[in-house]
Amino acid sequence: MERWDHFTTVEQMEEVSVKLKEQACAVCADTWESRVKNQTPHCKLGDSGICCRICSMGPCRITPKSPRGICGADAGAIAGRNYLRMVAGGCSAHSDHGREIAHTLYSASADGNYKVTDEKKLMDLAAEWGIETEGRDLYDIAHDCAYKGLLEYGKPFGNLLFLERATEERQQVWQREGIAPRAVDREVTTAMHMTHMGNTALPEALVRQSLRSGLADGWGGSMMGTEFTDILFGTPKPTNTEAGLGCLDKEMVNIIIHGHDPAMSEMLVVAAEDRDMLEYARSKGAKGINICGLCCTANEVAMRHGIRMAGNFLQQENAILTGVVEMIAVDVQCIFPSLGPLSKCFHTKFVTTSPIARIPDAIHMQFTQETAREQAREMVRMAIDNFENRDPAKVFVPENMKQKATVGYSCEGIIETLDTVTNSHVDLRSTYKPLIECMDSGVLRGAVAIVGCNNPKVRPDYSHIEIMKELLKNDILVVTTGCSAQAAAKAGLMSKEAKELCGEGLKRVCTLADIPPVLHMGSCVDISRMMLLVTGIAKDWGIDVTQLPVVGCAPEWMSEKAVSIANYVVATGIDTYLGIEPQVSGSEEMMELITNGTREMVGAGYIINTDPKELVKAMIDGIEAKRAAIGI
Amino acid sequence: MGLFDRVFRGSDEMYAIARKELDAIMAEMGPDTPIAMPDTAYNLACSLAYAGKKITNLADLNDALEHIKGMMTHNPRTTDVFMSGIGTAMAAEIIEACKYVKTPTPYAGTKYHGHFSDAEVRELGVPLVTDDIPGFVVIIDPAPSDEEAAELIKGYQSKGIFVFLIGDIIDQAERMNISMGFPVRVVPVTKEIWGVGHIISLVVRAAMIFGAIQPGDFDGFQDYTFHRIHAFVNAFAPLRDIVVGCGGGAIALGFPVITNETENIWRVPKSLIVQPNSRDFIETSLEARDIKIKVTNIDIPVAFSPAFEGEIIRKKDTQIDINGSVYDCFELVRTRELHEIEDHKIILQGPDFDEFEQGHSMGLGMLVEVAGKSMQPDFEPVIERKFHNFLNCIEGIMHTGQRDVNRIRVSVGAYEAGFRARHLGEVLYAKIKNEYESVVDKCQVTIFTIPEELHEMRALANSFYDKRDERLRTLTDESVNVFYTCTLCQSFSPSHVCVVTPERLGLCGAVSWLDAKATNELDPNGPCQVVTKEKVVDEHIGIWEDVDEAVYKYSHGALEHVTLYSILQDPMTSCGCFECICGIEYCSNGFVIVNREHFGMTPLGMTFSEMASMTGGGVQTPGFMGHGKHFISSKKFLKAEGGLGRIVWMPKALKELVREKLNAAAQELYGVENFTDMIADETICEDEEGLMNYLSEVGHPVLEMEPLL
Repeated sequence: MERWDHFTTVEQMEEVSVKLKEQACAVCADTWESRVKNQTPHCKLGDSGICCRICSMGPCRITPKSPRGICGADAGAIAGRNYLRMVAGGCSAHSDHGREIAHTLYSASADGNYKVTDEKKLMDLAAEWGIETEGRDLYDIAHDCAYKGLLEYGKPFGNLLFLERATEERQQVWQREGIAPRAVDREVTTAMHMTHMGNTALPEALVRQSLRSGLADGWGGSMMGTEFTDILFGTPKPTNTEAGLGCLDKEMVNIIIHGHDPAMSEMLVVAAEDRDMLEYARSKGAKGINICGLCCTANEVAMRHGIRMAGNFLQQENAILTGVVEMIAVDVQCIFPSLGPLSKCFHTKFVTTSPIARIPDAIHMQFTQETAREQAREMVRMAIDNFENRDPAKVFVPENMKQKATVGYSCEGIIETLDTVTNSHVDLRSTYKPLIECMDSGVLRGAVAIVGCNNPKVRPDYSHIEIMKELLKNDILVVTTGCSAQAAAKAGLMSKEAKELCGEGLKRVCTLADIPPVLHMGSCVDISRMMLLVTGIAKDWGIDVTQLPVVGCAPEWMSEKAVSIANYVVATGIDTYLGIEPQVSGSEEMMELITNGTREMVGAGYIINTDPKELVKAMIDGIEAKRAAIGI
Repeated sequence: MGLFDRVFRGSDEMYAIARKELDAIMAEMGPDTPIAMPDTAYNLACSLAYAGKKITNLADLNDALEHIKGMMTHNPRTTDVFMSGIGTAMAAEIIEACKYVKTPTPYAGTKYHGHFSDAEVRELGVPLVTDDIPGFVVIIDPAPSDEEAAELIKGYQSKGIFVFLIGDIIDQAERMNISMGFPVRVVPVTKEIWGVGHIISLVVRAAMIFGAIQPGDFDGFQDYTFHRIHAFVNAFAPLRDIVVGCGGGAIALGFPVITNETENIWRVPKSLIVQPNSRDFIETSLEARDIKIKVTNIDIPVAFSPAFEGEIIRKKDTQIDINGSVYDCFELVRTRELHEIEDHKIILQGPDFDEFEQGHSMGLGMLVEVAGKSMQPDFEPVIERKFHNFLNCIEGIMHTGQRDVNRIRVSVGAYEAGFRARHLGEVLYAKIKNEYESVVDKCQVTIFTIPEELHEMRALANSFYDKRDERLRTLTDESVNVFYTCTLCQSFSPSHVCVVTPERLGLCGAVSWLDAKATNELDPNGPCQVVTKEKVVDEHIGIWEDVDEAVYKYSHGALEHVTLYSILQDPMTSCGCFECICGIEYCSNGFVIVNREHFGMTPLGMTFSEMASMTGGGVQTPGFMGHGKHFISSKKFLKAEGGLGRIVWMPKALKELVREKLNAAAQELYGVENFTDMIADETICEDEEGLMNYLSEVGHPVLEMEPLL
């Protein structure tokens, strides 16, 4: 297909990976591909969720011959507990990230390392939370908001404050089903408690708590992370950037920032722009300092500063294999421990910065809010000093692996974009109405939120990209976050030219609104933005979230965070299409509960299919069925 | 039922009518009956454009209709809606074409315009690029009241928007005495909705003529209409399915539809806009299509808009008749020092219009004095030439001629609205300051009406005209150091570049070398860029490396070489809005020239439209070239092929226009007297044989020249 010439195919990405594997062989380093081989076949019992090692009587494994564990827990109980524990893990990761940002906001001051950037968003939040603003110092307000936010993690009574942002109907459903989350930590603790030896063995109760813990993530910790990050570093607005390993530059000092919490990466971006740093880099023979992001950190800094995105989850090793990375600085989540030994094969300095993620073979520089600025400068200096240690014999940069992308579609960014297609003589501004009109008239059939990781169980990036292409062809708008967003960006689907791949309806929408057909909404905590987006659309449309022609999809998910996300997306009323089977298949009851049982509780559930072509077809059919149900 | 279903129902309806009309005419006339729309080289333009099908007889038409049926798929996707919508317009064209099978003038004697000629399409070129026509509106069906219809039409007209009317709104306009017709840019197309076929035909021909979009290049047409044709639709409630079907086509082309229908309609941002208050149609529509109207606020009691340029004022409607052929008149621009004049001072020397009887005939002179740091006396005639254009835009004022042979009619209506002599000055002041802002810092206007003073001033003006003519005579391609590009047309014809030299004005006839120079001065990064002529390859036939480089650069690589004085070797391209086209005539080894206004046949066996369709859109076609009327008498015209002595045929009216200068040039070049009379015209012959006979009879110099090929 001629039109695909402007884009990067998965095959092209794989060719580069093959070349980079040769680099790895040359230095005797192993990579995830070789480790996948070593780990295959995976333990079947673990994979189907029916291996219990919660107490030391076991491990117990469920087989036809031994249908119960020593305590008598059956497949449903074991798979259900394991499942809920994954949710708890995911919720705690996102929420602790959110909490860390709340602390950062609490430390912010007018002359400190961290400042308030989006005053309006702070004021709006203060108003929402009933915090006095009249005549008060901005930072006093910020600290009160941060403090109130921190209380959300451990308050003894009541539900999470952000739940009130949901539609009336959702709030009622959550109350009715007994899944409205209390304090964030409480929902993690409850999950851990329920799954402790000798507690809940009823799968339905475990699934209910999964929804509740998930909601504590999406409408609690994650949402707070997003909210406070915007207040501190600015609410993203459409910004141009580039994506792909080709963003690494042979002539520059390359620093990769990897992880999730923007507190470290934002500082590094600022430090790299310091004039004396630039001059120092030049004095060492480099053309400049090139900061590139990996994983969700890439999403955070790309949409606020246009920092380029080197790649997603399964490309973290590839980045080092190019031989041009002077430093890879990481904070939390999704960091391969393999980066330690791998960095030793090159001149690359591997720097960990958080007590949450301590890794062997790394240089640890614990970041603190008070010393962040100077620490960031020190790290940049370290990377510059390392430039001369680069071994030209080990360099391979796939320069053609680079695509243009327009990123940064926060809800505010989307609303601003929609305002550009309103007509001041007939339309209100600052609503989702233009988008609703497109869906109502049929010009757009609906929207899909594609999120999640990479997973070697399927062909990496292939599912993301193929599903998106098929949706675009069918006039379905795609919003995306996390590693899925980067897959899209690397392929070129976030360039405005990608409208050529769309059906005429979506193509016209892209032309008129001047947007790419795949909208970048941020990192994985920013799936909370998607919850607010569907809520806003439902409110402006005057229908329930479950009725919208909108679905969610995680085609290549792998982490506990993804299971937590899937739970709050479903609990918010959105059908979620999974390309990787949750590890509960050893229990028919659990499979039934997560695919159909939740529908009776919250009106949505999972649709699982490991074939991306069938999965996307199911999504399109699902959207058309939702349209038919509301008579459009 | 949703929006898509309404479009599909509408397109089915249009198809069914087309089927019925076509079956009837086929049954009556037979499938081999030829069909041709009059005065066009593009057959049925919609079918040619979108399906790449040349329709010459009823059997072809039948095939085309089947093709259209195939476009009308009913999947609930925008792609299908767009295809059905465009199919609806194509079916509409077929319904209308059936009317032209028996006669080329089915609308003769009615108030409807019907089909647009290629010449009319081409006439739109210049006003489109200069933004004199900032957009087009198609108004469908009657407004809630006659008054509102009139208000809407006049509202658009005053903003320069070209108005097409379909349906009973035409009767409303007629009842409200709105003057209609192509020249006043309000065209009553047809009574029935299938008239949209004529409009889309005009649109796709613009894409083929100016944009060089090739027949059958569906995406090319989509892109061109979306980005370059600023059209939109106003459709009044109740909205019928068939109108919704046509609306689907309009939106497919990028033309938003604005309606006051609120029942059974679905809003689509920037595409289908529901404005319940039809009195706000204009502002809503202009915003929807992103049309920004250049506002020049001029303090006069009547409207000012390019739409009034074509207005004709009859003797009986004339209050004041200023007549330069009987009385002393003049129009003069002079450069002053900044301290010598006062900005925006309008002086009336003599009695005003209200001191004369209705129908009074008189003399009047206009002296415009300008000052500015970048003003050059060379720009004086450039500004002066624009008086015609400026004054004609006044509602109720008609201006013809120039210098001391001008003529101005002030209508009774304008006079009654309060229009006085001073207002001529107001218009000149406002427009000159607006259009020449970077060279004119101060502008003062004096209007003379006293016969004695006029006599004296006219003599003075004449001395200036003589000096200017002398300057123009010495202004040759050899006497200047630089030429200029003109890429004004690139908004419509993206790869066309004119190279404007003193002896070869822009092919639209509107841009002379001095104009280009002034434009460059006004906007150094604008459409007219300096082209040096230092690297000579062949000065005789007009090849410079610098020119080639400029052409390559400004055509974005589409063109590599241009030979300025040749038609056979790398001729200059044209955008499509050329005044004339010349084409090679093999029997005589000469060239035939035909101007846009001439509809008749030429000895080439082609009409203007057909010849014009051979080139345009920035494409080089050796043997055919578009050019301005005044290039004909240039010594550089056809120079590489032996010069203007090669001209063998021109329409009579064109001959009269260029006679004097052409005779002088021929006298100088070949020592031939009255050369213009040796050129044949339509009163002499319209075929090759007649042409050859005439040329031998008069001893035309071409017979002595070398064969061309």
